[in-house]
Amino acid sequence: MNGKYSREISVAAALGLLLVALALFAPNFYELQPLLSRTTSQMPALVAAIGITLVIITRQIDISIGAQFSLCGVVAGLVAAAGMPLGVAVLAAVGAGAFLGAFNGLLVAWLGLPSIVVTLATMVTWNELLRLWQQGRFMNLPAGFQWFGLSQAAGQGVVIGVAVALLLAAAWSMKNLAAGRRVYATGTDAEAARLAGIDPKWTTFGVFVLMGALAGIAATLNLVQSPQVQPNAGDGLELKVIAAAVVGGVAINGGRGNLWGVLLGLLLLANVNPALTHFKMEPYWERAIQGLVILLAVIADGMKRTKKAA
Amino acid sequence: MKRILCTLALCTVPFLSACKKSGEAAGGDDQLTIAFLPKSKGNQYFVTCEKGARAAATELGAELLFDGPTTSDPAKQNEIVENWISLGVDVIAAAAENKDGLSTALRKAQAEGIKVITYDADAQPDARTFFVNQATEKGIGDALLDNAAALVGKEGEFAIITANLTASNQNAWIAAIKARQAELYPNMKLVDIKPCDDLKDKAQQETTNLLSAHPNLKAVISVCSPGVPGAAEAVKQAGKTGVVKVVGLGLPSENKAYVKEGVTQAVILWKVEDLGYLTIQAAAALAKGELKPGATEFKAGKLGTMKIEGDNILLGTPFAFTKENIDQFDF
Repeated sequence: MNGKYSREISVAAALGLLLVALALFAPNFYELQPLLSRTTSQMPALVAAIGITLVIITRQIDISIGAQFSLCGVVAGLVAAAGMPLGVAVLAAVGAGAFLGAFNGLLVAWLGLPSIVVTLATMVTWNELLRLWQQGRFMNLPAGFQWFGLSQAAGQGVVIGVAVALLLAAAWSMKNLAAGRRVYATGTDAEAARLAGIDPKWTTFGVFVLMGALAGIAATLNLVQSPQVQPNAGDGLELKVIAAAVVGGVAINGGRGNLWGVLLGLLLLANVNPALTHFKMEPYWERAIQGLVILLAVIADGMKRTKKAA
Repeated sequence: MKRILCTLALCTVPFLSACKKSGEAAGGDDQLTIAFLPKSKGNQYFVTCEKGARAAATELGAELLFDGPTTSDPAKQNEIVENWISLGVDVIAAAAENKDGLSTALRKAQAEGIKVITYDADAQPDARTFFVNQATEKGIGDALLDNAAALVGKEGEFAIITANLTASNQNAWIAAIKARQAELYPNMKLVDIKPCDDLKDKAQQETTNLLSAHPNLKAVISVCSPGVPGAAEAVKQAGKTGVVKVVGLGLPSENKAYVKEGVTQAVILWKVEDLGYLTIQAAAALAKGELKPGATEFKAGKLGTMKIEGDNILLGTPFAFTKENIDQFDF
C-alpha cells in the first residue's frame, strides 16, 4: 500500500475487522457499561502514548515512563491521603512527572547521553526507590476521591473527556504550532534543524519534560478509577505505549508519525485481550498476537525504507 | 556468657527490648536465645509475624532476636545468619528469600550446633529440621473453592484470576481448585483463567471482560493478592455487587473497603500472627529436644496440638476474613 496515510489505513482496517468480528460473534462486547469501563481504563495509556509519540518523533526513547507513572501515582496518592483537595494532588503528580522528565531531558539533551541508557537507568532507580519507600503496600485513597467525587458514569466521562481533549490539543499543536514543527525537524535531522535556527537541545529537553508531565496526568487519570493505589501501577506501561506508537506508524528513527495512527495502534493492541476473552480463546494468545502485530508493523516500516532507498 | 552475647547483640541488632527483659527474668545459662529472620523487616506481613513471635517468646521466657533486611535482599539475610552464628544463638527460625542462597548459611549454622527451623518460605530440606508450613497447596485451593461454593450454592460458572500463567505457586493452587471442584462440586464450572501480571488494574480489566463475555458468571476467585481488589472494582463498576461473588487470597488491609461494601465476600489467608507464634514455639521445643524429627504432632502453647506431616509443621486450614471479622485485623 502506498500513500501518506497507508499505515493508518491498514491499522484501522485491522481494528475494524476485529470490531466487526466481535459484533458478529460476541455482541456482549458492546454492552454499554463494560465498554465504558474498558475505554476508561485505557485512557491513562492514551495520555502516556501522546508523550511517547513526541519523544520518538524527536528520535529519542523513554522507557522510564512506567516508573514515572508509578511514582506520580504514589505522590498524588500521598497528597490526597493527607487531606489535600484533588487539584493539589493533580498538580503534585504533574510537577513530579515534569521533574522526573527534566532529569532525563537534562542528561539526554545536554550531556548527549543515549536516551535508552539514561531512561533504563532512571526506570530501574525510580522503581527500586519506590519499592524501598512503599514496600509494595497499597495506599487507600480518601472517600470521594474516586471519580472526582462524581457518579461513576460522570467520572468516566470526565476521564475520557480529559484524555481526548489532550489528544486533540496535542494533534493540533503538532501540526499548527512552531513548537510542533521543531519536534519533527529535530527528529528528522538535528544538524539541519540547528542550521535552520531551531535549538535541538531545548526541543529535546522540552519533549522529555512534557513526557513526564503527561505521565503525571496519566497517573492521576488512573488514580481516580479506584479507591486504592498500587505503588507499581505503571509496570509494563512503557512496552504498551511504545508498541502502540510503533504499530501506529511512528518511525522509531524519528521525524515521522502522527497521533491518529498512535490512537489506532493503541485501540488495536488494547482490544486483542478483550476479544480473546469474548471469543473464549486461551489467554496464551494475547502476547503472541500483540507481538505479531508489532512485528508486521516493523516489517512494513523496513520495506518502506528499502523501497525509498532503492 | 549469654549476658555478654546479649550486650554484643545490642550493638548489632536493633529490636532487643525482649532480650534484656527476659534475660533478667530467666537468668542463668539455660535460657534460650531464638533468632527470628523475616524476608524483610519493614514488611507489614512480617511485622505481624513478629508480634506473634514475641508473644511466644515471652510465654517461654526466651530471648528473641529479630532482624532482617530492610528490603528483599538475599545477601543481607546470609550476613545476618553469619552474625547469629558468631553470637552463638541456640536456634534460628528463618523465612528464605532465596532458597539455595540461604540454605548454605543455614547448613553452616547447623554444623556449629545451632538448631534450624524455617517458616513461611522453606530452605532446602537438609538445611533445617522442620518447616512451619502456613498452608499447604491443597489447603489454600480447598479454602478458596469451598468459600466460593458456599456463596453460590454449589452451582454455576466461575472464573479465576491468577498472577501469570507460569507462576508455580498459583498453578499449584489452581490445580487444587480444579481437583476439588471435580470431586465435590459437579455443578460448578470453571470457564476461564486470566493472568493479571500481579497488577490490580489489569485484574480489573480482565474481570470486566470476563463479566461481559460470561453473563452467567457467579463468582470470581483470585489466586493472587493484587487480583482481589482488582476483581472487586470491576464487579462494582459493572453494578454486579453481590450478584457475582468475589473470593481471593490476599491481605485483609487491601480488601477491607470492598469486603465492608459487600463486593468481596471472603479474603483467604492464614492468621499471620499465629504463624510467628507457632514458629517460635516449635523453635524452642526443637532446641530443648522436646520436638524431634519423626514426630507427628506437637503441642504449641495456646494454639493447642498441631499436626506434623513429614517434616512440615502445619498451621492448619487457612482463615476466611469476612465482613464480620475483618475489622479485627490490621495487616
